[in-house]
Amino acid sequence: MKPTGILFFPAFDWAISPTHPEREERLLYTRDQIFEEGIMDLPQIKEYKPGLASLKDIARVHFCVPDVEAQITEAHLVSSGSALVMADAVMSGEVRNGFAIIRPPGHHAMTVAHGNRGFCNINNEAIMVEYLRQKYGVKRIAIVDTDVHHGDGTQEIFYHDPDVLFISFHQDGRTLYPGSGFMEEAGGPLAYGTTINIPLLPRTTDTGIHYVLDNLVMPLLEEFKPDVIVNSAGQDNHYSDPLANMAFSAQGYAKLNETLAPDIAVLEGGYSVESALPYINMGIIMAMAGIDYSNLREPDYDPARLKEPGGNMERIYKIVDTQLKTFRNREDVIEKNRRSGELFKTSHERIFYDTDYINEDQRNELRLCPACGGFRIIISTAQHPNGKKYHIAGIQLPIYACSTCQAQARDAYKTLNSGTYDIVYLQDRVKDEYKSIITRTGEERVL
Amino acid sequence: MLIGIDVGGTFTDGVLFNRGEIVTSVKKPTDEENLKNSLLQVLDELLDHSDPAEINRIVLSTTLVTNLLATGRGEKTALVLLPGYGLPHDSYDIAGETYFLKGSVDFRGREIERLDNQEIDGLLEWIKSSGISRIAVASKFSNRNDVHEKLVKKRIIEECEGVYVAISSDISGKLNFPRRAATTYFTAMTISAWNRFADEIEEALKIRGIETDVHVLKADGGTMPLQASRAKPCETVLSGPAASTMGGSALTRDALNSVVVDVGGTTTDLSLIIAGEPLYASRGAIIENQLTHVNSFAVRSIALGGDSVITTEGVQPYRVGPAACFGGEKPTVIDAFNLHLNLNLGDTSRSESKMGEIAAQQQLDTADLCAQIVDYVSHRLFEAVNEMFLQWENEPAYKVWEVINQRRFKLDRVIGIGAAAPAMVPALAEMMNVESFIHPYSPVANALGASVVRPTLTVVLHVDTQSNKYTLDPGGKSGELEKPRSFQLTDAKEMARQYLLTVGQELGMEEYTADSSFFLEEQFNMIRGWDRVGKLFEVGIQVAPGFIEEFKGVKI
Repeated sequence: MKPTGILFFPAFDWAISPTHPEREERLLYTRDQIFEEGIMDLPQIKEYKPGLASLKDIARVHFCVPDVEAQITEAHLVSSGSALVMADAVMSGEVRNGFAIIRPPGHHAMTVAHGNRGFCNINNEAIMVEYLRQKYGVKRIAIVDTDVHHGDGTQEIFYHDPDVLFISFHQDGRTLYPGSGFMEEAGGPLAYGTTINIPLLPRTTDTGIHYVLDNLVMPLLEEFKPDVIVNSAGQDNHYSDPLANMAFSAQGYAKLNETLAPDIAVLEGGYSVESALPYINMGIIMAMAGIDYSNLREPDYDPARLKEPGGNMERIYKIVDTQLKTFRNREDVIEKNRRSGELFKTSHERIFYDTDYINEDQRNELRLCPACGGFRIIISTAQHPNGKKYHIAGIQLPIYACSTCQAQARDAYKTLNSGTYDIVYLQDRVKDEYKSIITRTGEERVL
Repeated sequence: MLIGIDVGGTFTDGVLFNRGEIVTSVKKPTDEENLKNSLLQVLDELLDHSDPAEINRIVLSTTLVTNLLATGRGEKTALVLLPGYGLPHDSYDIAGETYFLKGSVDFRGREIERLDNQEIDGLLEWIKSSGISRIAVASKFSNRNDVHEKLVKKRIIEECEGVYVAISSDISGKLNFPRRAATTYFTAMTISAWNRFADEIEEALKIRGIETDVHVLKADGGTMPLQASRAKPCETVLSGPAASTMGGSALTRDALNSVVVDVGGTTTDLSLIIAGEPLYASRGAIIENQLTHVNSFAVRSIALGGDSVITTEGVQPYRVGPAACFGGEKPTVIDAFNLHLNLNLGDTSRSESKMGEIAAQQQLDTADLCAQIVDYVSHRLFEAVNEMFLQWENEPAYKVWEVINQRRFKLDRVIGIGAAAPAMVPALAEMMNVESFIHPYSPVANALGASVVRPTLTVVLHVDTQSNKYTLDPGGKSGELEKPRSFQLTDAKEMARQYLLTVGQELGMEEYTADSSFFLEEQFNMIRGWDRVGKLFEVGIQVAPGFIEEFKGVKI
């Protein structure tokens, strides 16, 4: 059997700030554990060297304000680049699956990037997904976000994309950052039902999550038939995580990955650096490589302490019921939306960047295209920490766009360049060409 | 005067080296059954040219430990593992007899699970009844806390008479439990035989009136005093290729990128010198298909040498005797190179007739057959060299700057070592489009390298200021800090340096420990909540491979 690819990039020389949870120490004990175990020496494992993402790989997903360089550090290029290395290894058939144990994380980063939100600047999974589509022509992709925090960045990026099934289970947004991820958030008008949120009550255990997995996530995957399954693998559902209140175990995580069988797993959050991460990472590696993980557990693991609280399961049964319906009714809902008679569907968002204290105002306009998922225009305004205020327009043309959407989107790039906006962007995924123009100077950049 | 002797698989080479020149060199076939005799035979011939009193140092490189393990003649040894939680027990495929015990510590050295005394009673009973007298004990994270290993050892020694016990924290302080276990296991297996060999060598030298330092060569290209080697026989594996690599380095002594090609009788060993520094195997030496914690050069061995026999089936991976031109019965790779490149080696007419016979059977021109063989050999070496570059370029990296500064290898030169190198290496260099370096001393560069390299020594210190503990390797030393709260990286470095000096003195290599360098400096703040509760340091200092003071290069 082919080995499992592992790319371990702990970024031992990068931190958001010295005492921040996202600091050098985060994967230190994971390093100690996986190196001491010698798991990288086993024939079932092939270790990969990190790579660098290009600016184009990032521009394929994000409208970085004012430019890509302003939103990233070298660590981000390595982290997202490493996800691409793992994607290449899986797609080339060198490995049967791959796990990128990388930081900095990415799943809170949205299409427009004004700064850092929830420890994330750019979205590693989204960059990988668009890379897979562009380079390998992969059509249908499922992202299962297993981080305790709602993957709001990834959700937003694929909210209007009917070919990407985004499933996130997380601690209920009423009790935890970022405060979103409710069942009503089910996808845009032309991509309804391919965003599935599973808000779980605090203290949910392995029992709860495995019920969700077996009765909701796996059936949805079976029906959606993705070509590639990605696990956006946060590790903060663990009972010892300091930033959340769930009760999963390392065994639970291992079993989750055995059941889910992702093609690629990418590390997201998880801040119990000593008590959880070393064991969860071992568990995920072992499960993905088909190594018996029954001898794995945390030193303080006590199953008697981890009992599903009363009421949690009742709620889970309801969620499973509702979301199966949401998914199965999606084509009817989309058809109805398509025939609404409107040309564009407008929505407004206010986005808060907790790390950088930025408030962003957004207007989204999606073309209710009769033939495809439609293109969208994002108008965004935000004041950056350096005092500069940006008013930008970004046009996003998906890879599956029909010829009418293509023509209209490219045209919009010209008409929007009238001086109203500081920067106008065109994300032309059909041509794999990413333009931005500073309207004041007329200076254009093409990636 | 310096003496270097390399007991290789086919030949034993020795040189007597003085003031930049080889006074004399000796090459004898190796008697696999009696390595000591091969060694002493070469030594005696060298001593014919020098007064024993004028010998300043002798360095030996031998395949003794490798041979013992390869031929299954190591002593029967049981491996006692304390793996705790993690990988399943069946993933440890190291020893025939493996005994598992409960008891574990974590990465910070905290006890997770206690030893089970009843289980240990069972182990002692088993040892007594099995008659095994060599035991290797390894516990996960014993490099952070070896209390369990030491307790198990204590009980075995107290209750099982005549049983030798090796524990893994004495053998290595590096992370990687299976490699530590394997290294400890091989140590327990070979330690008596190696000590007998050391006794015999000491005795033989005494008889010859030699009172000077005797060192043995290690896989890392450095030496250690024979006395110090008694506790670490595994360090001597792969010292042959290390001798050649250091020989290549001794002959060139510059900062170029080279590949050292040591063409032996039936194998060719390749190693890399990058900007003048030999490249290490990032995962340690492989002994009997097990990765170990023996620090060794990255060597790729190919079953193809100057004496590899040529048949109608092509180049064979074995040797029958010397090349036809040197009086052998069968045509070999050397004969093909001899004819193809008009080298005029030995009796060229014999190359012609023997190669001619094979060519005739295949209905080929002798010249065409020779061209094919030369092409085949050069390509195989070329591919192997390229794979080595690629592997080096693709080594994992764990820091941002390591990834940003991507490695790229540009070869400057091929250094040929071994008697057949002058015949084979220039063609390879030409194919790679780089300079070929062949020196008059190339045929005995391995023994020359052994004679002039200095001792190496590596110390690694791990400090945890929150738990107020430190561990030091080698020796598995541990203790508490005097002032953990104010302990800084500079303190850690000084502590490691002092330990290097102390160990150097204990091992009798104090004259070399002044020239040391730090190769590892890690420092992590431990944050719990939003407060710093301590720091973790890992500092490594070494006397890197190099040459002894009196070696200033070769004169010619």
